[in-house]
Amino acid sequence: MTSLCFYFQVHQPMRLNKFSVFAKDAPYFDDERNRTYFERVARKCYLPTNKLLLDLINTHDKKFKIAFSLTGVFIEQCKKFYPEVLETFKELAKTGNVEFLNETYYHSLAALFSVNEFKEQIKLHRKAMLELFNQKPKVFRNTEAMYSNNIAKTVESMGYKGIITEGHESILGWRSPNYLYNPHECNKISVLLRNYKLSDDIGFRFSAKWWEEYPLTADKYSSWLSNCEGQCINLFIDYETFGEHQWEDTGIFNFLRYLPTEVLKYQNLDFKTPSEIIKSNKAVGIIDVPHTISWADIQRDTSAWLENDMQKLAFEEIAKLENDIKKHPELLHVWRLLQTSDHFYYMCTKWFADGDVHKYFNPYNSPYDAFINYMNILQDLRQKLGLNESG
Amino acid sequence: MIGWEFPPAKTGGLGTHCYELVKNLSKKNINVTLLIPKRTENVKHDIPNVEIIEVGSTALNPYNTTSSDNKTFEKGYGWNFFEEVKAFNRKCVEVAKNKKFDVIHCHDWMTSSAGLELRKMTGKKMVFTVHSTEYDRTASIYPMNFIVDIEKKGVRESDLIITVSEGMRKQLIDRYAADEKKINVIYNGIDSSKYFGLTKKGNNGTVLFLGRLTNQKGTWFFLHAAKKVLEKKKDVTFIVAGQGEQMPEMIKLAIDLNIMNRFIFTGYLPENEVLRAYAAADVYVMPSVSEPFGITALEAIASGTPVIVSKNAGVAEKITHCFKVDFWDTHEMANEIIGLLRYPVLKECMRKNSYKEINNFGWDRVADQTIAVYRRAL
Repeated sequence: MTSLCFYFQVHQPMRLNKFSVFAKDAPYFDDERNRTYFERVARKCYLPTNKLLLDLINTHDKKFKIAFSLTGVFIEQCKKFYPEVLETFKELAKTGNVEFLNETYYHSLAALFSVNEFKEQIKLHRKAMLELFNQKPKVFRNTEAMYSNNIAKTVESMGYKGIITEGHESILGWRSPNYLYNPHECNKISVLLRNYKLSDDIGFRFSAKWWEEYPLTADKYSSWLSNCEGQCINLFIDYETFGEHQWEDTGIFNFLRYLPTEVLKYQNLDFKTPSEIIKSNKAVGIIDVPHTISWADIQRDTSAWLENDMQKLAFEEIAKLENDIKKHPELLHVWRLLQTSDHFYYMCTKWFADGDVHKYFNPYNSPYDAFINYMNILQDLRQKLGLNESG
Repeated sequence: MIGWEFPPAKTGGLGTHCYELVKNLSKKNINVTLLIPKRTENVKHDIPNVEIIEVGSTALNPYNTTSSDNKTFEKGYGWNFFEEVKAFNRKCVEVAKNKKFDVIHCHDWMTSSAGLELRKMTGKKMVFTVHSTEYDRTASIYPMNFIVDIEKKGVRESDLIITVSEGMRKQLIDRYAADEKKINVIYNGIDSSKYFGLTKKGNNGTVLFLGRLTNQKGTWFFLHAAKKVLEKKKDVTFIVAGQGEQMPEMIKLAIDLNIMNRFIFTGYLPENEVLRAYAAADVYVMPSVSEPFGITALEAIASGTPVIVSKNAGVAEKITHCFKVDFWDTHEMANEIIGLLRYPVLKECMRKNSYKEINNFGWDRVADQTIAVYRRAL
């Protein structure tokens, strides 16, 4: 039996306000813009897809199962801009067929600068999951699936049974992503690896007319899944794929609607949540990842956030405030919101000139605007902390 | 080809364009006869396949005698100037009718009347490059109707049109009712080998403006942005390089804003000093109110200097690694200047990335695209 493991990532950053060097007492976050984006994605994706998933769980004799990871930043905006969306997630939770994963509350890069801060943000998120969905998460996924031996060890020490990352050749070699593995020097925690080919068939290629498999149908896709070997096929996808990255007129909702029926026609396939997969399978090997990987871009490293010198400087400057911020608890939340990975993503110059995916809901005209804006806010925050050098 | 400027005479992009164009056409074995006005300094060149005829004050044309004691054309539009232009056009027709050519190529309104006349006489096709319109040059403040009329006629009666940007294409369609199918956009180029390139440089806190001091170039906005920068950052020097009708006015403005001690007005700079000015600056600002292309932005980038350009500039359509700002938004301009001065990493990222972008801007490409237009005309 090969189990299909669907996990959807749900995140919206709190985008920053336009903040000039002359700004005084201006808000850091652009509520107006964030609300507009949120409402749009809620209407196009969150509400219709949640409804569809609920139907599918109810009409398939509880055999259809899925997992979500909702960032804390998403949840806060949900409460503020569209509480109804949160209710539909709670309904999904009540079916018992939906697992909620744990991540850093702020969708941050904290794992890359401070073990303490990383753990604090995980705990905040764990608490939120317990309060909202009455679940104590057992599986962890780090921001953008960032993963290394050290990150795995930290997460294991916090009692998690599973951790998620990208099933890329650079860490697997000849091995298949469709099995459980143990992280290097860990035995209490398993790694679930994203099958990026099959995940991207839905996430990126679904409506690609240049693709030889276009159009992708539920029965064709199910036949591919049925032909796979392994314990599990991990299909980890950005939730906005449904209705936002792939608009409704691409047929993405119909694809999803018929998928469970088509999959369950095969005797060798079923649906499981990440925790169930870990419970019912044993790791077949060890993966060793000394340098941090992620699920982003072709490079699958941290270069989308921390490649150019602007990104590095901005990141260093925010990280540097860790000790000072503890003396100002009223600014802690803001400091952490500024750690959200998207702020650094917007400063990425890698493919800026080509006008690529990095542009998605990006509030800036250029990575340079993103950098100045971020640094101006940081300067203001430092001022509030009484740290500012003049000039 | 009928041009207006040719090195060493040069007041704008048109001169650079004509020089680089004929040079690169020549490399591609296109024979060019270039007619240009005679000026105080004679043209010296050794470009094969190119014959340059300086038409002007030594003219046989009786109408041109007024200028014999004033051989340099000035851009301050005096009545004399318009007579000169007319005389130049008449003389061009005289000279060109004895020459052999397949296509007529004119640049801007100062040359288009002769082109149209020759077109009528010979039946040859005419290509009209519009580098700027009267509305651009005057920043739409008191455009001269009779120049607009000449431009309209050129746009209407020429066979094909070349514009230096998409923005200019739109302007000709909207304002001059140009036939869309006639227009070809060919962006200006840069010979980056002339400039200093990405040589290592420190920060000396200088911000450069380089261009004619006119309404069009937005010098006024540069000074107001400077005022705002100095509110936040004291140790900044602003250099205004170039000359123009607004020079006295701008100096007075700098005094009134109480920032004259942070300003250097260089006046006219010879080419070698222009190159140094570009390379020495930390930031180049081009706040033009109207800018069909904006070659100076490419020149600054070729000198390893990051640029802030007016959003409406043609060059902003093609260069992505720069700041693009509304010319009137001096607040944002100052914000960006301070950012570039305050964070060396920002400056480094931008200048390196924009330097890569100008690889696509060779004059060789301009020549190829122009030849394609000639072919279309034939």
